[in-house]
Amino acid sequence: MNALAGFSIWAQRNRWVWSAVGVLFLWLLLSFVTSRFSLSSLSGVMLSASFLTVVGIGQMFVVTTGRGNIDLSVASVITLSAFVALLTVKGQDANLAIGVVIAIVLGLAVGALNSLLVVVLGIPAIIATLATGYVLATATLLSNKAIPGFAVSPALKDVATGRIGDVPIMAIVAILGVATTSFVLRYTVFGQLLSAVGQNRAAARLAGIRNGPVIASAFVISSVLASLDGLLLGAYIGGAFLEMGQPYLLQSIAAVVLGGTLIFGGAATALGTLFASILLILIVTTMQIIGLPPGVQDIVQGIVVIFVLALAGRQALARRASVDSAESEQTSAKAAAGAAPTRPE
Amino acid sequence: MSHPALAGQDAASATHAAFARPSVVSLSGITKSFGPTLANAGIDLTVCAGDVIGLVGGNGAGKSTLMRILCGAMWPTLGSISFAGTEVAFAGYDTGEAQRRGIRMVHQELSLCANLSVAENFFLESPGDSASRPGWRALYRTRARAALDAVFPGNGISADAEVGHLTIAERQMVEIARAAATPGVKLIVLDEPTSSLDLDRSKQLRAFVREKAKAGLSFIFISHKLQEIIDIATQVMVLRNGRTAWQGHAADASTGRLVQLMGGDTDPVHQHTVSTASSQDVLVRLSGPLTSGLGHDVEIVRGEIVGLAGLEGSGQKELLHAIFKPDRKQHAPVTRHADAAFIAGDRQKEGVFPLWSVLGNISIGAVVRRSALGVVSDKANHAKGSGAASRLRLDDRRFQSNITELSGGNQQKALVARALVADTPIVLLDDPTRGVDIATKQDFYRLCNEVARGGRVLVWHTTEDAELLACDRVLVFSGGRIVKELRGDAITESAIVGASFVQETDKRASIARSQTAMAGLGRKLVNAAPFIGLAAVLAIMIAINPAVASTFGVDLLLMPALSLVLVTAAQMLIVGGSEIDLGVGAFAGLVSVLSATLLYDQPWLGALTLAAAVAAYAGLGGLIQARKIPAIVVTLGASFIWVGIGYALQPTPGGTSPDWLSSLFNWSVGFVPTSIILIAAVALIILTIDRLPLGVVLRGFGNNPAAMIRSGWSPTRYALVRYLIAGLFAAAAGLSLTAINTASDINSGNSYMLLSVAAVVMGGCSLLGGIISPVGAVAGAVTLSLIGALLGTLSVSSDYNAATQGLILIALLTLRSLTADRRSEQ
Repeated sequence: MNALAGFSIWAQRNRWVWSAVGVLFLWLLLSFVTSRFSLSSLSGVMLSASFLTVVGIGQMFVVTTGRGNIDLSVASVITLSAFVALLTVKGQDANLAIGVVIAIVLGLAVGALNSLLVVVLGIPAIIATLATGYVLATATLLSNKAIPGFAVSPALKDVATGRIGDVPIMAIVAILGVATTSFVLRYTVFGQLLSAVGQNRAAARLAGIRNGPVIASAFVISSVLASLDGLLLGAYIGGAFLEMGQPYLLQSIAAVVLGGTLIFGGAATALGTLFASILLILIVTTMQIIGLPPGVQDIVQGIVVIFVLALAGRQALARRASVDSAESEQTSAKAAAGAAPTRPE
Repeated sequence: MSHPALAGQDAASATHAAFARPSVVSLSGITKSFGPTLANAGIDLTVCAGDVIGLVGGNGAGKSTLMRILCGAMWPTLGSISFAGTEVAFAGYDTGEAQRRGIRMVHQELSLCANLSVAENFFLESPGDSASRPGWRALYRTRARAALDAVFPGNGISADAEVGHLTIAERQMVEIARAAATPGVKLIVLDEPTSSLDLDRSKQLRAFVREKAKAGLSFIFISHKLQEIIDIATQVMVLRNGRTAWQGHAADASTGRLVQLMGGDTDPVHQHTVSTASSQDVLVRLSGPLTSGLGHDVEIVRGEIVGLAGLEGSGQKELLHAIFKPDRKQHAPVTRHADAAFIAGDRQKEGVFPLWSVLGNISIGAVVRRSALGVVSDKANHAKGSGAASRLRLDDRRFQSNITELSGGNQQKALVARALVADTPIVLLDDPTRGVDIATKQDFYRLCNEVARGGRVLVWHTTEDAELLACDRVLVFSGGRIVKELRGDAITESAIVGASFVQETDKRASIARSQTAMAGLGRKLVNAAPFIGLAAVLAIMIAINPAVASTFGVDLLLMPALSLVLVTAAQMLIVGGSEIDLGVGAFAGLVSVLSATLLYDQPWLGALTLAAAVAAYAGLGGLIQARKIPAIVVTLGASFIWVGIGYALQPTPGGTSPDWLSSLFNWSVGFVPTSIILIAAVALIILTIDRLPLGVVLRGFGNNPAAMIRSGWSPTRYALVRYLIAGLFAAAAGLSLTAINTASDINSGNSYMLLSVAAVVMGGCSLLGGIISPVGAVAGAVTLSLIGALLGTLSVSSDYNAATQGLILIALLTLRSLTADRRSEQ
């Protein structure tokens, strides 16, 4: 019993563990039920999950800034970046450097635009990034007309599809990214500032934090990662198509929330985002194996997101309630906090 | 009544008196614990008809907790409540039940909906008599008028005025009058009712209370102005540390005695003197209009403790914030020449980081002063933190606990420690001892002295006048300015109180009003944007192609706009509740698919499915509210569900529109275009809903949900209703899509998501909620749906449609944020 209680306390601080358990459970189930699941098929799942992890990490930074901030422009950035890569790299390794630079510049530009709208003009993040996404959609349509053809730089293709032994290079890239992010969040000043801003903006300001640059950098990180992801994804699928970024919109948010990052901001876990990405891809793969039509796959993903949020919502409530009750005299009314009063025994 | 009695006997005689008159409500043995702290411990309180109970106690004494329990906003850990002698179980006792039993509370933090009129706010408090009949507004207008005049003769407040446009004092008056006018009210709790009223209004209020008490109404009067309590109350109850310190007749109480009972320190707080050595080093300078009343600038030097005094809200907090973030302009009234740290007194809102440990909360003070790329070390943090903590007698073994597990006093110590590790020459204190126990206060005073002696500046805003005695200098505020500067021995409580009341008039209110008028002009222009835009778009199109102006031409253009108008109506309702639905377009698409497939093939099954879809949509709203989860993510997830179902039913566009559905949208009355009639009808329906009591309630929730809940409205029920109505509009949009296109496509509603938000914003609704503007939003929707046609007429590629829509939305929101009245929106 003690071990169980200990684990539950530990798991409260390490929320990534739930998505890891989910991955393990689903994978065991699949290998048990179907003979088609093996370690090598897991490596395929890892490859797909890596692309999701990269955008997911970016999305996580934005979500962590709190106030329900979400970057809805990632899908359009991915698509546009893939098209721009076709325009700039033109399938030549010689152009690869310039292609990467342009992808980063694209991400910086979109991130800067989003930051301008959200931080300077005070437009709610969802609306601002939604609108940015529409503007980018037009840019994508225009570049779609301009592309010379579907040719991908071999070197880039190697990164996107290659394997070292049985491990996809992309998976190594994603894991390195997750490790770096974990370090940044946990051990750097920036990570602390981000968490503080996400938890309580007024307190952060009065503690001397300049909230604007912190929030802006989260949006920039998100856009740059999405842009690089688009470049690699384009190389992976060998070209680009309209709407190719679309699935990543909901999935990136789902990966963040499912991984244990708090949707209300202030606490992020890169490891959780990684495991949740794998879990989501596993779910999608399972549905494909079973042969569910694409419509049903959408439905299942939607339900998973709402279900996880509804469950996580209760934890957030409990947390808020505990904040409120810590101070008797200043407790906001139970109704305002939304927490139900507890009845004595 | 006036015979002398000892404290113990007082309580007894008070209880005895209770039997003489009928008891209204009685609390007994009330205990409420928050973790380790007892906010209330075994408190008994009986209120009889005609009683005026003065409730006093220091901050943190447990007054608010007791009143919340009385009003059903909180359940006690132990204890019971009874009405007229009959015990009532707490399980079924909530704010609604308390109101049904005749208890009304006037809260210190005002609980009116600022976006509604005075009369509508009266309706929210006692909706019983309206019954949705026409003219219900007139009823409440009359009631509001009468109630205001009864309490505050000559108030001059219009019943139709929007509460947001009233001054704080006027809002307070409305709130008091509203509680007093409630039918069937038996007990009114007034929490600091006179804090923002001037002397005349305060006298009017007390006269009213006295008169009503004679007629049998009971009051609980909470005030820090003890003279008022002694003047008005029949009984006085003193709380201290959650316990009843004294209960007895007002006639037996005196200000001095009450202060003593409340635990006020009669000993002077340790006096600090400036060390002369460093007194030429000016760190903060105040000048300009702020100090015009003094006739000279104020310079704050190293080693000084400067107190900010005055009535609450006279500009003390503003000065602290101005010192913390000074204006960078050249002749700014506040300049500072060294780094400053801020210690917030409102710990929850401005102080703690609730997810972090105590150590994390402390060390952030030092962390923020380093480069963003620096690496933090737990060990270094711990070393630094324990240094600060030991000076405050905060046990460093608690460093790993979550900050919220600490008592208020210890949380405050952590915040002070945060300022210590920041190691800044200037420390700003915003009423840090609020709700803190006496031992912590003593530690705190000692530390202040130490810190100031070390050559730092302390600027200290406090609401406890006694604390000002510890300062070297006190600046007394009134009406947003410094009116008096006291030094050394001249600092006495009477001098401070005397100076606080010099200027009664609040000049800032009038300044604020003229600023609002200026911003109002800009906002009017922005509000006219949908109409100007619509006129411009139509003018251009008619100029290029005159055939557009014919009945047929208008129908051809505007019929497709109808669907967007309906989706906009749905989105507007959601935005009115300060949420955004990212799935509303997909939902319209799904309804369109359902109506062209199931409804066509099997009408009954189709109708049933449609009803189920709308119910699911409404249920989503209930889920969002009940679980407090962000609407954006839920509706985004839901959009995948809607699209998924649509795909599963109909993988490729097709289907057939039922004949009756097509004919619904396909009729003609001659020269007036059908599309215009339909669009006008939609606008009229929204307008009607908005004018109904239901519309008022929905807007109320959009503006101030906490106040709505206090008035006894159920948030989940109204979230369901809001989403139900929105779902019906979105479903109508889906049906119109099928009828107009004579077929269905699951993706047909996709573009509506952004457009509907844009139309709502264009129409003048705030994304923060609470505003419904049917005509503007409809005009906005029509304008936006014409943009595509306009681009076509101007032979611009349809590739640019999305960018145009996105840019229009960005431009609108930018304009809005530039002209917005920030104060009212924050």
